[in-house]
Amino acid sequence: MLSIVTGIIGISVAVLIILLVRRDRLHVRHGFMWIIVALCFAVLGVFPGIIDSLARLTGVSYPPILGITVAIALLVIKILMMDLERSKIEMRNQRLIQRVAILEADIRELQLDHRNGH
Amino acid sequence: MAPRIDEVQLSLPATVIIIPAFNEAEAIARVIEEIREHCDFPIFVIDDASTDDTVNKATLAGAKVIPLATQLGAWGAMQTGLRLAQRDGYQYAITMDADGQHDAASLKELMHPVVKGLADVSIGACTQRGSKLRKIAWLLMKQASGLTLEDITSGFRVYNQHAIQELSSKRATLLDYQDVGVLLLLQSCGLTIVDVKVRMQDRQNGASRIFRSWLIVFCYMCQTLLLGLTKRKLARSFHRVRATG
Repeated sequence: MLSIVTGIIGISVAVLIILLVRRDRLHVRHGFMWIIVALCFAVLGVFPGIIDSLARLTGVSYPPILGITVAIALLVIKILMMDLERSKIEMRNQRLIQRVAILEADIRELQLDHRNGH
Repeated sequence: MAPRIDEVQLSLPATVIIIPAFNEAEAIARVIEEIREHCDFPIFVIDDASTDDTVNKATLAGAKVIPLATQLGAWGAMQTGLRLAQRDGYQYAITMDADGQHDAASLKELMHPVVKGLADVSIGACTQRGSKLRKIAWLLMKQASGLTLEDITSGFRVYNQHAIQELSSKRATLLDYQDVGVLLLLQSCGLTIVDVKVRMQDRQNGASRIFRSWLIVFCYMCQTLLLGLTKRKLARSFHRVRATG
């Protein structure tokens, strides 16, 4: 019964992610990572026992905590990467605004020269 | 009035004055006129998306106005001016505030160490200014960053071409303020920074953009102290040449 519930949740999340990538809502670069996440969701949903065997293998006495720990670790890495990306975008954006301002000042000067020339 | 920095000017054709301005319509024209009484350097006014008449006032007063489309903050505006100075090949850039706090009469003394090659950057220091709050802030910032300059928040500076180049770089873009972050960046590039004691006037209009509310000061201090602590030099104390004009 449990594996049916988790299977449905896992597969629906996977389908949603693939749909988003298909419809170009997600950049392929991010899409790749999300497809892997979707696969993990689907597989773990259908076979929740995998976590138990992994826990036994790694010597974790309370299996659910293994899944949660790995999930949190991956989330922290992802968030850090997002902030790195955001800083880069902010920097580009700021330099672009600066360049536009410089060009606008140049255009004004040219217009002024042009007007004074005639 | 006779230009007072004639002799300096003869040897340096390529100097520019950079003034970032945000809603300074009342003060900007007088600031530009006062500068004009002392020198003929071109003046760039970087308008940080002002909502008042700053752009027109500055244009009419004879400055080249660089209008930012959205607000980038004090350093973002300043860097715009430095990037333009770099693009146009200026050898020296003087930065001043738009509120009339900086006295153009001190330009000669301020430029002296940079023009003579004694330093890459000179900072017009006026430590008498400022409230108790500002004094505490200075002390904390110096402790955190290991900088030994007297007035690290002063915006009255002279940069040489080397400093202009470093500060136009992408690396400097994500800084928010021109004090600790900028000074540590210059220091890490091996540039020499000196204090020059200058007189400062009271602001003609309004207050500091930073030292006006506790919340802004708090955010500013957190950022600045973090920058100072993470980027301070690990070994070798900061080499400093003292030159007073």
